[in-house]
Amino acid sequence: MSQIIVRTKTSEPFVPLPDDDLIICRCEEITKGEIRKAIHEGMRTLNEVKRYLRAGMGLCQGQTCQRLVLNIISSELKIPGGELGRITGRMPVRPAVMEAVGKSTEHSEGVERYDR
Amino acid sequence: MKRYELIVIGAGPSGLSAAIEAAEAGMQVVVFDENGRPGGQLFKQIHKFFGSKEHQAKVRGVRIGENLLAKAKDLGIHVILDATVLGIYKNKEVSVLIEDEVQNYKADAVIIATGAAENMIPFKGWDLPGVMGAGAAQTMMNIQGIRPGGKILMVGSGNVGLVVSFQLLQAGCEVAAIIDAAPRVGGYGVHASKVTRTGIPLYTSYTVIEAKGVDSVESAVIARVDECFQPIPGTEIELGVDTICIAVGLSPMSQLADNAGCQMEFAPGKGGNVPVLSETGETSIANVYCAGDVAGIEEASSAMIQGKIAAAAIARDLGYIDDIEFAEKKTAYAESLSKIRAGMFAPGNKGKVFEKTDEGFTISDSLLTKGYLSESELSAFPALDASGGTHIVIECTQNIPCDPCQDVCPAGCIIVGNTITQIPKLDKDKKCSGCGLCVGVCSGQAIFLVNDQYEDGYGTVGLPYEFLPLPAKGDVGKALDRSGAPVCDATVVEVRTNKAMDKTAMLVMKVPVDQLSSARFFKAAEGGN
Repeated sequence: MSQIIVRTKTSEPFVPLPDDDLIICRCEEITKGEIRKAIHEGMRTLNEVKRYLRAGMGLCQGQTCQRLVLNIISSELKIPGGELGRITGRMPVRPAVMEAVGKSTEHSEGVERYDR
Repeated sequence: MKRYELIVIGAGPSGLSAAIEAAEAGMQVVVFDENGRPGGQLFKQIHKFFGSKEHQAKVRGVRIGENLLAKAKDLGIHVILDATVLGIYKNKEVSVLIEDEVQNYKADAVIIATGAAENMIPFKGWDLPGVMGAGAAQTMMNIQGIRPGGKILMVGSGNVGLVVSFQLLQAGCEVAAIIDAAPRVGGYGVHASKVTRTGIPLYTSYTVIEAKGVDSVESAVIARVDECFQPIPGTEIELGVDTICIAVGLSPMSQLADNAGCQMEFAPGKGGNVPVLSETGETSIANVYCAGDVAGIEEASSAMIQGKIAAAAIARDLGYIDDIEFAEKKTAYAESLSKIRAGMFAPGNKGKVFEKTDEGFTISDSLLTKGYLSESELSAFPALDASGGTHIVIECTQNIPCDPCQDVCPAGCIIVGNTITQIPKLDKDKKCSGCGLCVGVCSGQAIFLVNDQYEDGYGTVGLPYEFLPLPAKGDVGKALDRSGAPVCDATVVEVRTNKAMDKTAMLVMKVPVDQLSSARFFKAAEGGN
């Protein structure tokens, strides 16, 4: 994340909403209320919400909920979606059983990532 | 570690086109796809594509897919299916999960053509079985041969929502309504018109607020929205449906580009997070390219050209074609791309509201808000010929890139011109032979053949018809107008099919002459077909 994340931009006290029980991340069963609470507890980016709640860490790896979580953070903090980062794409980008990854016999020198 | 000159990730329209272009240049290519079948979304696109001849206009997507696969096979391209790419590393090493084992491949160049995934909107009950993406419903019916449901609510009036609604009807499902939160229809007017004339209501400024049901969807509650897209209390309507299809756009599946370390950008106009690309589709990493929807949401025709451009650039870099040949290819592909990216629905015009066409005609308000043309608005357009006898009526009123009607008319009656986004007009000096080819080939099903001198007091309307079983000569029913409302009794006098019309029939129905300008669809009487 290159830009400075504004930690001072705290919102008003958390106010429950009638649709807080709406499930947003279906894979990990995270609700809108949990995400809103996480934001009020200091989470500011998609990756932060992901690590805090596991929203986006399930089977679909955030393909479905990433945009929905983004919209919630964006409207909660009044920050444009483009400034909230994205869920980091990393190996394995699709779910894989660890055994299969372990079976990979021919691991070469090249497992490091490109420099960011 | 297995080596190839080019690794293509994704065997959809873009990936296959890229692989073919590269193999034709002499390169050794492997294509991975995580699905069990190649072709990406092409094999479920049973409708005819738009564009010009060079874009395979009037050819159904499924056939374009078959042609690509046959070509790839001829060229000896290795297409490995059920092969999930898990990551891309330095030096273009690619980890692929094949049959419970991770295999590592390495190449001189990589093209990421992973496509896109459907967006969802959350509402109460959206996690009930029966709520699904419109693309998922399309896969179920067109690939697996399973009806996704009995009665369906379509959320979203972009081309995906409109085309899938039509295909749901073709599959024998009932579509209760198409709704869109925007105040205007999102997709092509011609796609909207071909569903509204069958009687499906299209509500703009409506959203879905709840899916009700115990174990699965039993009904959907929709409501009108205000300018800020907030539901207006008291406007709720409950529709008895068992399926809710969501067609609210796509997001690029760009995680692999991110994982490879490509510079990314958040571009709402392109559908979300996409890699920053050069004009040939190269990412910030040399010889790692992206093509198709992963680079920004468009459609299959442009995805195929993007794939070819990327592959040609790689062939040049690896010494398979020289600079001159590359420059020629690039110019040709770029021209083809700019043709298909033109018009009111071009990628750069997303969200823009047009009041007039390029020619200065006022766009039908009824088309934009209700999904069908009003007769009075239509009369201002040039493709109406009131001459006696058999004549063509073209109800194509937006600047979209498409011109098969011009090519197919043996009498040369229809003029689009070289700019394929122009609205077709009729050459008044040419005489329509009544062959009906234009009716059958028009990808937008927007051409009708009207004869006002069939017999005393009666005329005929020839209309494009794509539902099975086909009605037969002598069948009786109702003629529906553009909104789908019955206007009069109608009798089928002919059902014309031929190879050039590729399974679109021209159904000719007899109606009273005073209904010739309003009757646009045939509904067989109950008990008949």
